[in-house]
Amino acid sequence: MYLAPEGDELEIVNAASDFLVGTTPISRLHEAGCADLAPSAREAFGEMGWFALAVPEEQGGSGLSAVEHTLFFREAGRQCAPVDLLAQCLLANADLDSGLREDVIAGTAGAALLVPSGASWRLLGSSEARWALLVERTGGAVYSMDAIALQERPALDPTNSLHVAESLPQPMHVFEGPTVWQLGQLAVAAMLVGIAETALDLIVEYAKVRETFGRKIGSYQAVRHPCADMAVRTEAARSQLWYAATAAKEERADAQVHLDAAKHLANLAAMSNSDTSIQLHGGIGVTDEHDCHLLLKHAMTLSRLFGGKRDLLGRLLKAQVAD
Amino acid sequence: MDLHFSEADHEFRARARTWLKAHVPTDSRPAHGEASARFDRDWQRKLYEHGWAGVAWPKEYGGLGLSGLQQVIWYEELARAQAPHHINTTYVAMMHAGPTLITRGTEEQKAFHLPRILSGEALWCQGFSEPNAGSDLASLKTRGVVDGDVVVVTGSKMWTTDAQHADYQELLVRTDPQSERHKGLTWLICDMRLPGIDIKPIRTMMQDEHVNSVFYDEVRIPLSNVVGEVGGGWSTALATLSFERGLGFIGDQLELYERVNRVIDLAEQVEFEDGRRAIEDSAISQRLAAIKADAIAIRAMTLADIAETDRTGMPGPKGSMMKLLVTQTHKALSEVVGEILDWDFLEFNGDRSNNPWIYEYLWSWIFSISGGTSEIQREITADRVLGLPRAR
Ligand SMILES: Cc1cc2nc3c(=O)[nH]c(=O)nc-3n(C[C@H](O)[C@H](O)[C@H](O)COP(=O)(O)OP(=O)(O)OC[C@H]3O[C@@H](n4cnc5c(N)ncnc54)[C@H](O)[C@@H]3O)c2cc1C
Repeated sequence: MYLAPEGDELEIVNAASDFLVGTTPISRLHEAGCADLAPSAREAFGEMGWFALAVPEEQGGSGLSAVEHTLFFREAGRQCAPVDLLAQCLLANADLDSGLREDVIAGTAGAALLVPSGASWRLLGSSEARWALLVERTGGAVYSMDAIALQERPALDPTNSLHVAESLPQPMHVFEGPTVWQLGQLAVAAMLVGIAETALDLIVEYAKVRETFGRKIGSYQAVRHPCADMAVRTEAARSQLWYAATAAKEERADAQVHLDAAKHLANLAAMSNSDTSIQLHGGIGVTDEHDCHLLLKHAMTLSRLFGGKRDLLGRLLKAQVAD
Repeated sequence: MDLHFSEADHEFRARARTWLKAHVPTDSRPAHGEASARFDRDWQRKLYEHGWAGVAWPKEYGGLGLSGLQQVIWYEELARAQAPHHINTTYVAMMHAGPTLITRGTEEQKAFHLPRILSGEALWCQGFSEPNAGSDLASLKTRGVVDGDVVVVTGSKMWTTDAQHADYQELLVRTDPQSERHKGLTWLICDMRLPGIDIKPIRTMMQDEHVNSVFYDEVRIPLSNVVGEVGGGWSTALATLSFERGLGFIGDQLELYERVNRVIDLAEQVEFEDGRRAIEDSAISQRLAAIKADAIAIRAMTLADIAETDRTGMPGPKGSMMKLLVTQTHKALSEVVGEILDWDFLEFNGDRSNNPWIYEYLWSWIFSISGGTSEIQREITADRVLGLPRAR
């Protein structure tokens, strides 16, 4: 029993962090035309094998597990990495024919993510993508983007462009089983934990230097105590994320319950931490040039993916965990 | 990362479960008075005689020397077997007085006290807080004057839980009258039957008398009862507090999940005026599910922390965060129960077993005030986990 990154896992964390800071740093979101994963970046991720950490070696992946996948996406969350990164990675983990999988893993063409929204669907990611991926708890479907009629919508969250599809064509491919959903839920929960951590880090750094009335704001209890509460929420969400990732890796019978709990806690931690971080920064916190609002807006996107509050709580009420 | 319990852990769980099933008392614990202390002593004696006393204590001092993880297993099995709660009159002795003696006591102190604690023969209480020294413990004023081979103690302690049942006390006094704050304090083993000690109960809002004021009028305590150095009491007291804040509450952390499930069962049964069951009310069911998710995460947090401590051999600073989350969750759960039970929630005759739900609710403030208030836990987190500039 051990529930924190160790050994080789730590190397993945460091390598992922360096790579993401180099390729999709959060600072990119302050520039025009930043939405979605650029083809050059996608190919760079592909070359390094980041889309296929959890894909078995005989299928062209690294043969690692849900745990390394989770560690990678936590670093992605810290940079508010685009959702097409997730779509590409999930597609690489779907049960596809090998020619298609090769292209996905290499990043030679892109994937975007479809999510149900009322009677229609939303698409997150580039409209230039070749594939659109729809994932449900029990399986999923892959569509050719050429066959989908899309209307563009203005996006609050600058990480991705947003489109609506009123109908979907016949899928190119369908797959069954909970694996892709679980990897999706883990990735999104991990990105939300990364956001919660970053929101806390930003305010803790600022509270150590910003002075008012001749004192550092970090010495005021009205600042210290909400920071402590943020730390508690983060710690709870992170511990549950590690537990869920490990339960998925070990294929435990109650893994899905732990995943739902992890996603719920991550939703809460990211939303409340980015909220509090803005408030405790004062005026600078609401400016466009600051990162705080980017965290909040991306948390709002991610908290709707792979289980929103109502869905998760409805399931958790009756669910049971094992020892 | 991995979630595996070792073969030895599984074997331990099976053995604990079997033994508890056969030996957990069938009669319930009396709520008050001498009878409650007798019940606790009997249970402790039974644990001792069957080799289950002192799960956290090193083997050389008669304990089981279990790893943190096996202690988790033990508390989970206690909860499953509905065994007597370990936060009872043996708590101070088992959870922090004993461990303090083990790490800081003399050979004589250990040889005399440790077996008596393990067997339930000696109960202890904690005399740290005073009327004017709670959160700010280092401002305490109870005086100890070294006179030859005794320390003469005069002053008063407050909030001393179970003083009326205790045989001994962890007593923190100021032996250097010129000293301020953390300096000049001394940690003493005080025999509660010494002349000059007067115990007055403080009635709490739960209508019970578990906490006390303790007055000392020239109480003569042998110098050989000093634990650590004369004047070095703060260091010994920090050791005591670290045991108290360490694994002392794992039982509660782990039990929370069972408790949420009991409330969900309650919500399945209770019918509102409009004929719907409480569980069908989405405001109630959503809050219960959110609390359940917190309880699941609290278990993950506990396991993560304990596995880390087992590995490094040193408890980290996360205990304060744990206490904050557990106390908040505990209170939130009681608040939902209050909505489910409506007027029934308000019936209480002062006996815990008469309405455990309201008792738990009232207890939520004891939880968030004693053992360091929630505000102090936030201060500790801000200092030690986040490294923010100090408020004081
Ligand atoms: C039921 C019960 C049992 C207890 N059992 C024992 C026992 O067996 N032995 C023992 O020694 N003690 C015991 N205590 C004492 C307990 O440890 C203290 O009550 C607690 O530490 C708070 O101290 P206080 O009551 O003096 O409150 P105060 O310290 O006066 O605090 C008053 C309020 O101010 C806040 N506050 C204080 N300082 C700060 C700060 N720096 N920053 C922000 N807020 C602050 C507190 O959080 C609190 O809300 C018990 C208490 C209770 C209620």
